[in-house]
Amino acid sequence: MGRSVTISSGLIPVAGKATPVPGPGGAVPRYPLRSAAMMAAVLAAFSVVGVQLVRLAGQGAGVPVAAISAPIATGTSRPDLVDRSGRLLAGDVELPSLFVDPLLVVDRDELVEKLRGVLPDLDEPGLRSALAEKGRRFHWVKRGLSPALAQRVHNLGLPGLAFRQELRRAYPGGHLAGHVLGGVNVDNRAVAGIERYLDEAQLVDPVVSVEPSSRVPVQLSLDMRVQHALEQELIEAKRTYRAQGAGGVVLDVETGEVIASSSLPFVDPSRLDQTMAGGVIDRIAGGTYELGSIFKLMTVAMALDSGRVTANTVLDLSQPLSAGRFEFKDHHGGARAMSVRDVFLKSSNVGAGTLALNEGTKRQKAFLASLGLADQIRTEAGPVAGPVVPGNWDRAETITVSFGHGIAVAPLQFAAAAAALVNGGEYVAPTLLKRPAGAVVERRRVISEKTSAALREMMRANVAERGGTGERAATPGFAVGGKTGTAEIAVRGRYDRNAVIASFLAAFPIEKPRYVTLVMLFRPARTAASGGEITASRTAAPATRRLVGRIAPLLGLKPDATANGS
Amino acid sequence: MRLTILSSVFLTLSSAFLLYALNNDTRALEEALQAQERVAAELKSDIAVLKAERAHLARPDRMEPAARLLGMAPPRPTQLTGKIETGSTKEHAGQ
Repeated sequence: MGRSVTISSGLIPVAGKATPVPGPGGAVPRYPLRSAAMMAAVLAAFSVVGVQLVRLAGQGAGVPVAAISAPIATGTSRPDLVDRSGRLLAGDVELPSLFVDPLLVVDRDELVEKLRGVLPDLDEPGLRSALAEKGRRFHWVKRGLSPALAQRVHNLGLPGLAFRQELRRAYPGGHLAGHVLGGVNVDNRAVAGIERYLDEAQLVDPVVSVEPSSRVPVQLSLDMRVQHALEQELIEAKRTYRAQGAGGVVLDVETGEVIASSSLPFVDPSRLDQTMAGGVIDRIAGGTYELGSIFKLMTVAMALDSGRVTANTVLDLSQPLSAGRFEFKDHHGGARAMSVRDVFLKSSNVGAGTLALNEGTKRQKAFLASLGLADQIRTEAGPVAGPVVPGNWDRAETITVSFGHGIAVAPLQFAAAAAALVNGGEYVAPTLLKRPAGAVVERRRVISEKTSAALREMMRANVAERGGTGERAATPGFAVGGKTGTAEIAVRGRYDRNAVIASFLAAFPIEKPRYVTLVMLFRPARTAASGGEITASRTAAPATRRLVGRIAPLLGLKPDATANGS
Repeated sequence: MRLTILSSVFLTLSSAFLLYALNNDTRALEEALQAQERVAAELKSDIAVLKAERAHLARPDRMEPAARLLGMAPPRPTQLTGKIETGSTKEHAGQ
């Protein structure tokens, strides 16, 4: 009975544990194959895990990446704006914006005092109010700081202040073409100008990061060099003739592209909120004016195109024109008889009125409408200020409109109409975007080529012939033609002889014009430089001469030694 | 049967290992991609700033006085004499 029992597994349960039991003869029995396989599998599995751990440890030795999900304000990325040669006019850049977490601020007074030292235009009442508000955790202190300024704020070491990167619009040219470019608000959304076109054409993208737009830059029709030259010449003319304001536009007569457009005072697109608050308007597209005698271009074109008269037709001007209680005379006495050409060259109001009356009010209205002067026009920057036309357009109005009074239009609208008169007779809508090479431009015939040629001849004579009102616009090296306009401004219901808008519309090279320019001086003073006069022939005309002499080479026109003006 | 079970176990373990490795590789690639994207975004931002700086430095009201100092000016009509040939210059060179 003392014989022990051997269990086939070689294990006996002792207090819940399996203990190997020597087999017969005292030798440890060999493990069965199943156990060995299991152990091998477990060993293999652990080896795999071990190898994988080593591999991952080796991979993880790189730069640690912090995945912090910080709350980032939704912004807007805008494509670059470039001029017709690809020079940058506006672009998005990443700039730090400063905010405060009031809960983390230790000393409110210290924070405000120290910030005021670095940020002079700090909104102190707003900041103090935000800091005092219970439960508030966020308040913008200043958005779009320069990196240098941000560093100075950072160096203050004030707890509670922090920065957040945002996309901000940069205008590297400063005020250059400020009125045309418009501007954006603190959220990078357009508020005016061509920037608004980007929003309307859905070229802006909402972003949650601060990555600049990857869209193709939007190419404007402006030429930065010509724009600069125009602005410089307007500044010079405003200073020389002590004018209250000035404006000018350069237009391509074939494509309708606005090559340059400027209005004094300038606006800085990067500070548009402040400048717009001051009521600074774009006189070229945003205001309407009675332009005076340059409107005779339209009247003479209308008369010539109807075929009732030619440039040499002599008009009987022996009697002053009358309409009701009004009587119209020429300032400089006038003549008893005058050819249509002389009406233009001597800028006779009576002659222009006679031509308009010959054509009739209905024809005058229709002709001006065909030139786009009766209705509001649009550019990509938005609607141009609508024309102000007589409510009751009768005989008196027909006469006054013929010499540019009683009707007020935006200078850009007028320049586009004048371009149609000199380019062979086809109206092309003005545009602020560069037209692609070979693009088909929509044209509308308004006068015949013959009429256009006759007008160009008169415009050239007005500049080139001695005694012409545009004589002082004669530009050495370039054949310029043009027309002056001195429009008295209505002050308290009466036209003031000492307050005028002096304008000069020029086309060059006049044989086959490529460009028209319109230079306007608002309320010039009687200065020594203008010989004590305020007329366009002594102010806007010489300003145009300087402008054309400067921009024509930039526009690729070769000087002609024979075109020395008068 | 036993062989089938063993094979299945082996396949399961192998698949699990492969999937695990693949998962890790994917994560590593994602991290690398994100790092590259961050670098690209930073570079794009730097490029935008540099473009703006270059345009600011090359603005006409800064360049023009410098050009005048160097004696540069628009061409005057008297500087051009005779017929101007804008086409081939070879003919002139050969003359």
